[in-house]
Amino acid sequence: MEEVHMDELIRQAISRRHFLQFAAASAVVVACSPSGTGTTASPPTGSTPAGGSGGAPSGGTVTGTINVSYPDEAGLKPKYVEQAAAAVKSQFSGADVKIDLQKIGDDDYYTKLLLRLDSNDVPDVFHVGGSLIGELADAGYIEPLDDYVSQWADWSQYPDAVRSGVTYKGSVWAIPYGLDMRWLYYRKDDLQKAGLTADWQPANVQGILDAATAVKNAKEPNVLPYALYAGPAGSSGTADHAFVPLLWAYGGELQDQSGKWIGDSPATKKVMAYYQKAYDGLSPKEILTSTKPWTAMREKLGNGQLALLFEGGWVYGGWATADKAGTEQHVGYNLHPTESGGPSFTIGGPGTCWYISAKSPNKPGAWEFIKAFNTADIVGKLNAEDPHPVARADAADVAEFKSSPYLVASTAALAKAKFVPPDPSYSKVIEAIQKSTARVAAGELGPDDAAKRYTDDLTQALGADKVTSL
Amino acid sequence: VVSARRRRFARNRLYLAGLSPAAFLLALFFVGPALWALASSFTNRALVGLDAANPRFVGFDNYARLFGDPDFLRVILNSVIFVIGSAIIGQFVLGLALALLLDYAQRRGFLATNLVYAAVLLAWVNPTIIAGFLWVAMFDFYNGSLNTGLHVVGLDPVNWLGQGPMLAVIIANIWRGTAFTMLIFLGALRTIPTDIYEAARVDGAGALRRFWDHTLPILRPIAALTLLSVTMATFGTFILIQTLTNGGPAFQTEVIALYAFHEAFQSHAVGYGSTIAVVMLALNLSFAIVFLRWSRARA
Repeated sequence: MEEVHMDELIRQAISRRHFLQFAAASAVVVACSPSGTGTTASPPTGSTPAGGSGGAPSGGTVTGTINVSYPDEAGLKPKYVEQAAAAVKSQFSGADVKIDLQKIGDDDYYTKLLLRLDSNDVPDVFHVGGSLIGELADAGYIEPLDDYVSQWADWSQYPDAVRSGVTYKGSVWAIPYGLDMRWLYYRKDDLQKAGLTADWQPANVQGILDAATAVKNAKEPNVLPYALYAGPAGSSGTADHAFVPLLWAYGGELQDQSGKWIGDSPATKKVMAYYQKAYDGLSPKEILTSTKPWTAMREKLGNGQLALLFEGGWVYGGWATADKAGTEQHVGYNLHPTESGGPSFTIGGPGTCWYISAKSPNKPGAWEFIKAFNTADIVGKLNAEDPHPVARADAADVAEFKSSPYLVASTAALAKAKFVPPDPSYSKVIEAIQKSTARVAAGELGPDDAAKRYTDDLTQALGADKVTSL
Repeated sequence: VVSARRRRFARNRLYLAGLSPAAFLLALFFVGPALWALASSFTNRALVGLDAANPRFVGFDNYARLFGDPDFLRVILNSVIFVIGSAIIGQFVLGLALALLLDYAQRRGFLATNLVYAAVLLAWVNPTIIAGFLWVAMFDFYNGSLNTGLHVVGLDPVNWLGQGPMLAVIIANIWRGTAFTMLIFLGALRTIPTDIYEAARVDGAGALRRFWDHTLPILRPIAALTLLSVTMATFGTFILIQTLTNGGPAFQTEVIALYAFHEAFQSHAVGYGSTIAVVMLALNLSFAIVFLRWSRARA
């Protein structure tokens, strides 16, 4: 393989088109937000960049304790967090870093964090998904980082699309380290036993169900054909790894031009019909009642007990760590097909980001920690272990990162990524998606009724003025 | 007359002084939060988003939304089934039956009596969350003991939590809660003097007759109180269900307390979650009134 210039690849991958997509979506959000009511409309800014302990960006000295809080169940991040903490401490002798590592799931961490942010006992810097920027900023919990990034030379390494992914209402709110993308994973061995090829590629969406049916008919013991997340148990995976890619595959959209969320539509009905077929003996119903069903499904694909799964690109890291050769030999990955067989795509996202609390008593310290964590070296190495396309372009030249064909492919796939709109209502939309997909998957409603109920669920959560159906 | 009144006041003062620690704690941990929930239920207070920064008074909007919520009727119905199944039929009736059985066995000095007693009690002393995980370990599709057992005898696994989710959570809750009613009934049964039964037996009354004519009337006030407390506790419980099915599949086991929790802490809609909690409190209060009237009428 010839030498790949990852910098260039990333810059090409995250093209101007996607930047515009992001920008357009952000503009919609800004346009839709309540205006003219003073403090309600503009995000509260807790800091004055002009000095004081409030928010003087770097340059001065940092003292006092910096409270860092982050969740990690996989155990990949602690060594880098500690490395960053040590760097801050050695650079500023008067600074101390207190690390609060929470070994719990992201959802549980987020609820705990919100309760903390609602009180006065806040961490200075914390680590949650970039898709939460809108709702956190609206709540006044986070600090805009414009004054910090404007004085940070490394910010030039972040492509425009990445920057716009963490921009909301005109400000930058968080620093990402790795971007999210997803693959349609398949087990080459299971598909071959079902009479398909090792380089299987679905011609269209129906092709996924056809392959799953072939696996089912092959009757291999202990092999599940397909896992399609549904219901609240699937968490955000029900939306990002199932409903949303299917909606896009059938030519639907989450929001219309005016920013209203689309409930019932021809595409929504098709997605629900797809769910019905998938839950008619292809995808296990246990997904609806298991705790964290993705844990079992990821494990099963890794050991060959599940043939097809659309999941995060980072999941590959778990399989490769357990069995690198076996994973490379047996696990294939494709982009998500469309209904017509048009261009396949993936879902992109800003990944997990670092934020500064608006109420933080030590914002300069928090920013120093964020800078120390997001060096090219740490970003490159961490993303090589916990596979994501890197958020800063120069990190792709770190040896560990560019030597992996999987990461090169994942980064290239970003050129075909569609992004979920950065809208603070998206969490509520996810819940409506969970409710309506569960109804079809559990066999309570048919596709058309479930699509209608999706409109009702959206209306319940967001109000009738923010919802439409086509 | 004056001195009598003063004496009564003095007695009341002592009574009030004795009552005040309990009243203070109740105010702090029950009345306070209940009033806070009531106030929240008239706002759009949220944990995140614009409503977190600027909660507004929204009048009865949350109540209108709740009563127009197609899921709410389902949730109420689930709660009723769960309470009837696990509290009334399960814990209450089974608890009484176990108490009668144990009382009978103890009076006759049967061998394994204390072992049975301890076994029932063990389920109860477990924290609910551990009881929940124990049942997950039983019902789990992939690694659960029930399906492992089926596999050993060559049968296909059963999706216990998917096919009979309500029955599964009811069974788990009966297992967990029966000891409480059993203990109370056992205590009550021991207060019944044996000579009543002796006399009845001399009169030629059979076991059923003796239970109906003598045991049940004596137990009635205790039974009313137990039924009330078990019903209310079951109505408000959600940890066990959360651990087992988290309300799924598709709302089939979503009970009112779990719904309030999900709205407040998963959807982060504190105002709406409070509304559900207030409705739950109102329902619980009406239970209490009905039960207490019933027990007073009979007593």
